[in-house]
Amino acid sequence: MTMPRKSTLHEMKTGLSRRRFVLTTAGAAAAGTMTGVPAIVYGAESIRTIGLGVSIINEIQSKASKDTGDKIRGQALGYGAMIGKMLNQNDQYEVAEGYFNDMDLMIPAKVWQPIDTKRIKNWDKVSNLTKTGRLSAGSSLGQGDAPFRHLWLNKDGSRASGPTQYISMLPGWHNADSIGYNPDETGRKIESWAELFSPDFKGKVALVNAPQIGTMDAAMAVEAMGLMKFGNKGDMTRAEIDKLVNFLIEKKKEGHFRAFWETFGQSVNLMVSGEVAIQSMWSPAVTAVKAEGVPCIYAAPKEGMRGWHGGCAISARVTGKQLDAAYEYLNWWLDGWAGAFVARQGYYMSVWSNVKDHLSQEEWDFWYLGKPAAKELSDPFGTPIVKKGEIRDGGSYEARFKNIAVWNSLMKENDYLVKRWTEFLSA
Amino acid sequence: MLQTAPPHAKRHHSGLIGDQPAPPAQDIARLKKTKRDQAIHPGWLVAPASLWLIVFLVVPLIGIVVFSFWTPIRGGMTPDFTLINFGNFFRQEGFFDPEHRNFLKLSIFLTTLWTTFRFTITVMAVCLIIGYPIAFFLAMQVKNFKWQLALFLVAMVPFWTSYLIRAVAWLPMLGRRGLFNKMLMNLGIIDKPSSFFLYSEFGYTMALAQLYVVLCIGPIFFSLAKIDKNILEAARDMGASNFQVFREIILPLSLPGVAIGMIFLFVMLMGEFATAVVVYGGKTSTTGTVILNYYATANYPFAAVNAIMLMLAMMIGVFFILRVVDIRKEL
Repeated sequence: MTMPRKSTLHEMKTGLSRRRFVLTTAGAAAAGTMTGVPAIVYGAESIRTIGLGVSIINEIQSKASKDTGDKIRGQALGYGAMIGKMLNQNDQYEVAEGYFNDMDLMIPAKVWQPIDTKRIKNWDKVSNLTKTGRLSAGSSLGQGDAPFRHLWLNKDGSRASGPTQYISMLPGWHNADSIGYNPDETGRKIESWAELFSPDFKGKVALVNAPQIGTMDAAMAVEAMGLMKFGNKGDMTRAEIDKLVNFLIEKKKEGHFRAFWETFGQSVNLMVSGEVAIQSMWSPAVTAVKAEGVPCIYAAPKEGMRGWHGGCAISARVTGKQLDAAYEYLNWWLDGWAGAFVARQGYYMSVWSNVKDHLSQEEWDFWYLGKPAAKELSDPFGTPIVKKGEIRDGGSYEARFKNIAVWNSLMKENDYLVKRWTEFLSA
Repeated sequence: MLQTAPPHAKRHHSGLIGDQPAPPAQDIARLKKTKRDQAIHPGWLVAPASLWLIVFLVVPLIGIVVFSFWTPIRGGMTPDFTLINFGNFFRQEGFFDPEHRNFLKLSIFLTTLWTTFRFTITVMAVCLIIGYPIAFFLAMQVKNFKWQLALFLVAMVPFWTSYLIRAVAWLPMLGRRGLFNKMLMNLGIIDKPSSFFLYSEFGYTMALAQLYVVLCIGPIFFSLAKIDKNILEAARDMGASNFQVFREIILPLSLPGVAIGMIFLFVMLMGEFATAVVVYGGKTSTTGTVILNYYATANYPFAAVNAIMLMLAMMIGVFFILRVVDIRKEL
């Protein structure tokens, strides 16, 4: 998962311990930047929506309230708290802004209702990335919890093997992550995940400290090095986890890792303070490092990137007029305004044709087409973040997403993975 | 001739500083009468606190214990009794298998608890070594009460800001390009920046000690300040050396403060996980992080087991501290 805004030390301070918690803070920080009181039109229905700070941002839900006429209140939570609330308190929200890699928890629990695609106005415009797994012909199907593997449901909420009328979650914002590096420190262009374990960078490497994501980045690296071959990096076997973690423990004992970061702000700080030269990173963090005047490049490894995909689901408890309002909010997400808002933070939307209408030509060219910025561009809050002439690392939307190596996943062996990760950190 | 006084008249009760004579018998009788007649029953006074504790502490604790026996399933748990969660806490693959990497190695969750405990004890020792002299100086060397208070507040100044700012402040101090490295390089002690200070066990221990030391300065200061200076003078008059005065009088009388300070530290440090992330760069696991990791992927029963084990470890620790010093008797 990625953070919405460029981070400052402020986020390190307020964003306490974990990536999961800092996401909450981002929502709060976003709330702080809101100018004036939004003119919320109090409609007949009140919708409570929960998620991470990536999509729960005051400006977004305020605008949705204004446009739909319903009262939409967002609550940004940390990752663990979000999962907990989604699973255990589906009477406390109407809409859940979740992630496809958590579907193995959500679908069997039946806490959400199948979404009828007939009620989604722009359904036909939703890209094939989530429907078939291929953004365009010739794209690779990523391993792991790719959205198309968790999208289709039967009317009763059980999984369906192919396209049906019903879906688990309406696909929304998404992105692809890789490694960020300081070219002055590395002295060369980074084009492969294998560089994460290059002895040249010993003591100057950091990984994200989330067992589910950290192991996947490490797996990309050892596979690129030719040390291991995984059946499915998104669903490793115990033997694969053992071999990978044993390798990581060995590397840790050699002093290869400088740190393991948990929050967006931490990853920025590690790079800015010169503690690390190369690390797993989220793309807005690279922008934040550059904003501090430190050179930082987001690599586009030849092995492909690690994708993640969010969207909107509806609680199983919602019925009647409230259900209509929930559908209205879901439809609103695809209208383009919200897509343009998150595009200015570097995220993509499932219906990009509508997003184009809400972005300036220069913005569209920069964010989606990967062209040099024709003028200075700002984030959604008006802070300039892209200088004229800058090119988005990782290239165009299509270049990124036709080569997704693996999607963020929740493995069947997750409990074992967490156990071995604990051992790795303690080693 | 000595008159037999009512038993309570002989008793003294201790005030904050020194002993106070017990109030006369008739006053106590009068007060007791008033209490019976007019005052609210003590039960009502503790009711709000008790209710609060029952609802927000006892009930959740019972919940944690109950959930630890439930069966985890993908996306939650079912109320089927099982001991597997406790089994998983202790079980280690290949424990007795000489071929296995885990031959005779304890379960990682036990090891993590042990690591957490080891750091806690180290930091407690550092805090005591730093904190006791500070408290001693404040209580014994500074004679003026106003100055005592002022200096005590100065010791508290870092605690006027948030915990995380204090933790983050270590980064520009200890980092590769930090002040400490710059100083050592300017002095010619090292010729290239050392990565030893930050994201290391050293930095972690130092940061924890600085973050928590005040928790033990306070109680030690108060128990030292309570010591009747006349006793010290009497000892000196009878020829005791400074060291003897310290060993025979000051140290034993300050032990309750030390014990209370150590309990504060112990409980806070065992539950610690944020500093490990900020100052140690996440290069260790604490039981706190284990709980968080399992909670985040909805394995609540196993998170509960870890929470119970952490609580048990804390209770055992506090029990031992109280065995060494009988606070009730000493106060």
